Order: sequence, then C-alpha cells, then structure tokens
Amino acid sequence: MRRSLKATLALLAGAILASPVVSSAQTRTPGERLAVREHTLDNGLRLLILPRGGAPTVSFVVRYRVGGVHEHLGTTGIAHLLEHLLFKGTTTIGTKDVGAELRLFDRIDDMHDTLIRARGEGDSTGVARLSESIAALEDTARSYVEANEFDRILTRAGARGLNATTTNESTMYFVELPANRAELWFVLEADRMSNPVFREFYSERDVVTEERRMRVETSPGGLLYEAHLDAAYSVHPFGVPVIGHMSDLENLGRRDVDGYFRRFYGPNNAVVAIVGDVDPGEVVRWADRYLEAVPRGEEPPPVVAVEPPQRGERRVEVVWPAEPALRIGWHVPDVFHEDAPALVILSSILTGGRTSRLYRRLILEDRLATGVYSSLGPGQRFPRLFQIDATPRAPHTAAAVEEAVYEEIARLSATGPTEAELGRVRNQIAAGNIRRLQSNLGLAFQLSESASLFGDWRTTFRLSERLRGVTPAEVSRVLGRYFTRENRTVATLVRQEGSP
Amino acid sequence: MRPTPRFAAPAVVVALAALPGLVSGQAPVGKEAAEALRYEALSFAPPAPEVREVEGVPVLYLADHSVPLVTVIARFRGGYGLFDRASYGAATALPSLLRYGGTDSLPPAAVDEALEFYAVQTTFGGGGESVFSSMNTLSEHLSVSLGLWIDMLRSPRFDSSEVEVWRGRQLESVRRRGDDPQRLAFTEFNRLLYGDHPVGWEMEEGDLEPDDVSPDRIRDIHRRVACPEHLTLGVTGDVPWRDLEPLLQSMLEGWTPCSDTLPPSPIPDIRREAGVFLITRELEQSVIVMAHPTSVRLGGGAEYFSAQIGNSILGGGGFSSRILSRVRTEEGYAYSASSLWTTPRRYDGIVGAVTRTRPENTVPALQLILDIMFDMTEAPPTGTEVATTVDQIVNGFVFNFETPAQIVSRRMFYLAQGLPEDWLERYLEGIRAVTPRSIRDVFQRHLRPEAMTILVVGDPDRIGLDALRRLGPLTFLDIDGAVIPR
Repeated sequence: MRRSLKATLALLAGAILASPVVSSAQTRTPGERLAVREHTLDNGLRLLILPRGGAPTVSFVVRYRVGGVHEHLGTTGIAHLLEHLLFKGTTTIGTKDVGAELRLFDRIDDMHDTLIRARGEGDSTGVARLSESIAALEDTARSYVEANEFDRILTRAGARGLNATTTNESTMYFVELPANRAELWFVLEADRMSNPVFREFYSERDVVTEERRMRVETSPGGLLYEAHLDAAYSVHPFGVPVIGHMSDLENLGRRDVDGYFRRFYGPNNAVVAIVGDVDPGEVVRWADRYLEAVPRGEEPPPVVAVEPPQRGERRVEVVWPAEPALRIGWHVPDVFHEDAPALVILSSILTGGRTSRLYRRLILEDRLATGVYSSLGPGQRFPRLFQIDATPRAPHTAAAVEEAVYEEIARLSATGPTEAELGRVRNQIAAGNIRRLQSNLGLAFQLSESASLFGDWRTTFRLSERLRGVTPAEVSRVLGRYFTRENRTVATLVRQEGSP
Repeated sequence: MRPTPRFAAPAVVVALAALPGLVSGQAPVGKEAAEALRYEALSFAPPAPEVREVEGVPVLYLADHSVPLVTVIARFRGGYGLFDRASYGAATALPSLLRYGGTDSLPPAAVDEALEFYAVQTTFGGGGESVFSSMNTLSEHLSVSLGLWIDMLRSPRFDSSEVEVWRGRQLESVRRRGDDPQRLAFTEFNRLLYGDHPVGWEMEEGDLEPDDVSPDRIRDIHRRVACPEHLTLGVTGDVPWRDLEPLLQSMLEGWTPCSDTLPPSPIPDIRREAGVFLITRELEQSVIVMAHPTSVRLGGGAEYFSAQIGNSILGGGGFSSRILSRVRTEEGYAYSASSLWTTPRRYDGIVGAVTRTRPENTVPALQLILDIMFDMTEAPPTGTEVATTVDQIVNGFVFNFETPAQIVSRRMFYLAQGLPEDWLERYLEGIRAVTPRSIRDVFQRHLRPEAMTILVVGDPDRIGLDALRRLGPLTFLDIDGAVIPR
C-alpha cells in the first residue's frame, strides 16, 4: 500500500511546478488513482475503503447528506440537536430498562406538547410549572440510564477523536480506532443506525443552548457571522444558522427529532469512509454482516428554495461591546458552475499568504487591519457567498478597510492577475493536494464528502484539477460579473456606546 | 395529550428491532454483541528516531518514505520566561520576526515569495521556556527550502518596517483583550494566581513601547537564544541520512556560540488563599475558572501517575469523567466542563476546573464541581472508572506513533524536559500500577476544594452576589486585574 501511494504522490509532486498544465477530462488525475474500493449495500449505504500503511489505526467517517439547508424557521438547529442525541445510546446501550424509559418518554413528550401550547397562549405560570415537571420526569427516566455508555465502550477500546459535526450540507460522525478493534465500529454503528434512543432529550437540549451561548451569543465573531448570512439570504436556507435560533431550540421536542431522523437518516442517505490499516475484503464482510440489515429510510426531500437575485447593496450592523470587525459577501454560483474555479483562485490571489493583494495592502502597506481572510461558503452545492472578513486596526475604521478592499478589487479587475500570481497559487494548490493525503481522517473526510455531496469520491480531485487551468482572463471575468455594489452584503460590528 | 399513532409507532418498532433475530440476516449488534467481540493483539514495532549529531547539534532523525515530504523541527532553549519583564515584548516578538523580518541576504518580501513559490509551510512559535519552528517541504525542494529556513533562524534581518507592523498588531490584540470572555478569564486567572511571574504576564501597552520592541532589542534576544548549544533539530520524511547530513553540515557550520548562559525561568509564588473574584460583563453566559497550587511534578513517581488517572476521572477524560457527566449530561448546565491539573517539571502546578454556563446556573454549576471534588477526596473511584481510563491509554497506545513527526516531537520534548528516552514505556507501566486507593490518596493529599481561587466573568445581577459570596470572600476586578472597591 505504502509504495503505491508514494508513487501516486510523486506524480502529483512532479506536476506542481510544471507549466502550462495539461488538463484533459479523459485523463485520470493522480488522486483519482488512489486504491479506493467502493461497496454499496442493498439498503443503499455506500462504503469507501482505502487501505494504507503506517501505524495500525483506522479512521471512520459516516456522513449523512443532511444539514442546515434542510431546515425551516421554527425547527432550525434540529440537525445539530440530533447529532448530539445520537451519542445517547440505543435500545441496549445506555440503558438499564429501555421499556421503562420509553413509557416515560410518552408522558414527558405529551407534557412538552402541552408546554408549547401554554407558551403560545402566553401562560408563563403554566410554562414554568410544566418545565419543572418535565425536568422531574426526566430525572426519573435518568434512573434507568447508563450515562455516556456509548462513549465509554469506545473509550475503553482506545478510541481517539470520537465526535461529530453538523454543517450546512452534511452531518459527519467520526472516530479513530486501533486497527485490531475495527469490527467494534460496525457493531456499534449498525446499532446506532437501527435502534437509537433519544434519551435525556431535554437536558441535552439545554446543553445545545449553552453551546449556542458560547459560540454565538457571547462571541462577537459568531454574532457578526450569523447577522451577515441572515442579511445576505432572504429565501435560501444558507441564511439560517446551523446551530439554530434560540427560541427554536427551546421549542423543539423529541417527537420532532424522531421524525427528522426517519426522514434523513436512512442508510440510503449515508456514505461511510474507512481509511487506514484494514483489509478491504474483511471490511466488506463486516459491512455485509452488520450494516446490510439496517432498514432503508425515506427518500429525503430535495432543497427547492432558490435565492432570488439581489437588487441592491445590503448593510447590517451588530452593536456589541467589542472592537470593530467587517464582513463583506458577494453572491456567487455553486461549486459546479463554470466560474467556480476562477473564484477559488481569486480568493487565493486576494488573501492567500503574505504576498496576496489584500494582505499586502491592508496589513503591510497601509496598516489598516491586523487580519484579512476570504472564503467561499457557507456550503458548496447551492449558490453561495464569496466572503471577505477583516479586523480593522485602530485608529482605522471598518469603513476605511472596506474602501481599501474595493480599491484593490477594482485594481485587480482592471488589469487582471499576473502570470506569476497564478503560478504561485497553482503551486500552493498542488502542494496542498499532497499534504491533505497525509492524514487518514482527513482523507476519510474528503472521500465521504465527495461521494455524499457530488455522487463520486473522485469529484473533489477533479474539481481541484480544474483550478490549475484557470486563466487570468477568467479571473477578470468573475470579478466583473459578481463583484458589484448591488450584489454585496456588508456586515459591521460596532462598539456599543459607553461599553468598557 | 395522547400521542398520535404516527409518533408512537416508531418507538415500538425501534424497541422490537433490537431483539435478536427479529431483523432477518443481521448479525447481533448492540451492547452484548460489542462485549462478545474478541480482539487479536496488535503486532506493531513502532519506529524509533535515531539520535545523531551535526556540528554539535543533536539531530533526531526518522526516515519516512510514504510521502514525498520532509519536516524539520527546531527547538531553542530560551523563551520569554528566561528574560525579565522589560524584555517581554522583544522576547515575544522574536519568533514572529524570525518569520516576517527577512534575512541578512533577503528582504522580507523576497523570503515570502520564495516560501510561497516553493509551497513551503513554516511555523514559528515560542513559550515561556523555548522558541520553536518547523518547516515542511516537498522533498525535491529540500535543499533550497532548508537553506532558506536555516538562514531565517540563523541570520535574521529584523526589518524595522516589519517590526512596526508586528507591534501594531500586538497593540490591537491588547485593545481587543476583553472582546472574548474566555480569553479574558484565562489571562486574568493566570495573573491572579501567578502574579509577576512569566506565566502570569499579560501583554500590555507598556510592554510594546517602540524602544522596548526595536529591531536592536529583538536582535539582542536573538543573539542570546539562537545559538547551536541551545538548539535541537528533528527531521522526518522522505530524505536519506546520507543526503541530509551534508546539507545540515553546510548550514550549521561556523555558527557562533552564545556569549552568556541563560538562567532557568524563576520559580513562581502561586497564590494559595481561597477567594472568589468577579469581572463584570453583562453576558448571556458566565465563564468560570478555579484552581489552587499542587506539588505533583511530571515524572514525580507513583503520585504523578495517580494524579494523571485521577484527573481523567475527575474531569479531564471527557464524557467518561465525573465533571462532564454531571455538569453537562445530567444537569444540562454547560456545553464544556473539565478539570485541569498541570504538572510542570521544575515547580508546582495547579489543579482546578473550568466551565461556562448561563448566568443563573453559575453558582449551582460551581457548587456542583466543588462537590464532585470533595467526593474525590473522600472515596476511591470505582474500579470501572479506573479501568476505563487505563484501558483507553493502553488500548490506544498505538496512537502515540501515528506520524513520524509526532514520534520525533515527543522525543524532543523528553530531551528538553530531561526525561529518560524510554519515558513512554515507563509511563505505560506507571499508569498500569494505579489503583482506586492510590487515586483517593493523591486527591486527599493534593486537592483542597475549599482552597480554590475562583474567577467568574459574568453578570452579577443574574448570577446572584449573595450566592456567590457563600463560596468565599468576593472581590470585584476590572479587566486589567485591578481591584474595584465596593
């Protein structure tokens, strides 16, 4: 394994400084030659297996094609809340008496339904009384719980990095195990996919509200990011925070999450990537043995919302006791659009490293800012934003930084990038392509993302290859097409009067 | 209200599906099946770095030909903690200006262009005791990349314009110190506990006067730190020693030794009195930090291992630990909650806990953590708790050898700390010998919940001052650590 990977990488490396770049749809790129074995079960679950040498460890990622884009006002944050609840165990893990638990859940959830109605009617006494009753009943249910048993089984097996993450477009569950314990993952994950129990629901919902307080409500950066996306999107769910609005979180019930799980968490909506010291034949046998019987789920509904064209500049302020900050976003197309590669290159030309245009101008020459970054997001499959965020340096204002950003963009738009700039960016992209192959977990993320979002694990490698063919004229074209005043949304953090 | 059948049905289906045999063809899954699995032992001989010497500089070398990349790590003894406060600005500036300030032969922009053209990745950093840097390059560019990087470390220019940019960014960072409540809490807590010791220092405007952070001042620090007798190198990746050695030789030869020896960093006088401190911030969530000093040292015999496992059970071990289980899982008070137990080699460390919770839950969460600590001093943990932590370390031991760079970095750390080269094996033996009783003993000797210094950043009106005062004498602080009379 080790040798063949190295040969592949050497090919990648050799291509780095070569120019001009050969780009042909028929030629397989070196990344595509990785020895990935694909295996699809009858229930629709797709597995990608990449054996590698090195230390005897294995990385597992299971990725569901569901995230913030499948949410609506009223139930925002549900994908992320469900992510937390999938660590609560199953009908056999995390429980002393699952029957007793489930009977209590019915009573608790009825009470929660009543609470929501009381809240709607403004009955605050009723809400307080019902909240206490729910907490008390959940404490009773807790007497049947083996807390955190799912975590403990994996911990004792020597697992590392057990965690999950929810984004706008996917939800990933991941862990690394010593290679001799790989079978354990199948036994646990098949159980979790088939028999999850959303125990300790209401206390876990409180945990998520605390996570929101930490990441958003007490974080100036988090607040500004949320306000920026909210202002930029009027229709498409990219404008909805993945962690959810506080009032939505406070009203979500276990029954909402049950329904959501059935709609989006079938094996037919999942991709598993396994990278490390494994025998692919054995992995396939384990998959057939444990995962094949997980029942197929519903067909998830597609995302149909389309963001209408923006008809004028939008500006939003967040007033907060903190130093100023700036975010600018322009609407641009999704990752498959013909302009997408030029936009990635543009991001690198503007802010990729100390020789980039905005870094040089804002940080080194005019010293208007202490940091400047750009990115494309918050997802890939739908039209997104080209975002720039900058940290002004006193006494300079966010307005002064904003002005300088527009000047640099206008200058680049007028003359286009130089060949040297493009060469530097191409080299960095090619080297990045090698570096990201170093980590088993990193590769498992990439393979599963590509297969889940784009249908083929090779697509990410192909998209990366497209970057190398971008010309100066294409960069100029995207600048002219998208970077207009009426297409942008600007968010600024403004210090609260009289704050310390 | 009765549940609608639509919602009730799945719970039943879910419950039945778990019974063995009802889902056709599926091998048993779940708890019993997991417990029934048997595993073969791992057969794995972890690679060990070779320790060589080039021009008097120790070089830890571990070849890895799986990817066409080479990583080189440098560590110099000589962080800001080895200088006095008047040099804090310049000593902190050193690592960044090695990266940004150019070299004798190349102005800063030319260094940037070369690094970016060859797609070389570098890191430069510093701590209280050391300055370190790493360089990662495609192996085909090793000669040019290594030459440039060694030049940056050995012959820096400290370009005055770059120094001024660095100073401006630091001043902005000082200005933004209170923006992030967690950063504010941690830095003020260190100041509270360690006072005028490098661990307690927080960068202030006064540390960043132009004369204190001039190119000459930084050059002076560089002259005293960056010399061969302070240097250790680590090399991993796709390069044979026969190619590496002459490269290193030509780059290291003729490097002038340091003019004076650097003294060790001072021994801190850590605050021992109990007390509650509050920095007022009208926020939706309080940040809580608490700790007191302890004398358990890294490598300090059986007690050290009992403290390691004990801390994991108390609150260092994530969901298997008591603090996260009770504060998060059971009460829903917090997203993150953990204990901390630092064990420096030369002087005392601290033991305590951190969490964040909504203002109204501040005192209940604090009280709960203190109660958990009291319990640890009174009764030994369960056998399962000890076994969970020990099993994690033993079964997951292989993760210590995942990458060659990790193996080499760890050996460099042992060298710097004066630990034996087989420390990892001794560690494994040490934690295997830990018992519930030895953990109770170490907590009885070293954990004193009643002696905690507690710092809260939050909203006094919603936290409830009376409740907070019940935990100890309350002092209000401003964000620069000064006492506000009340």
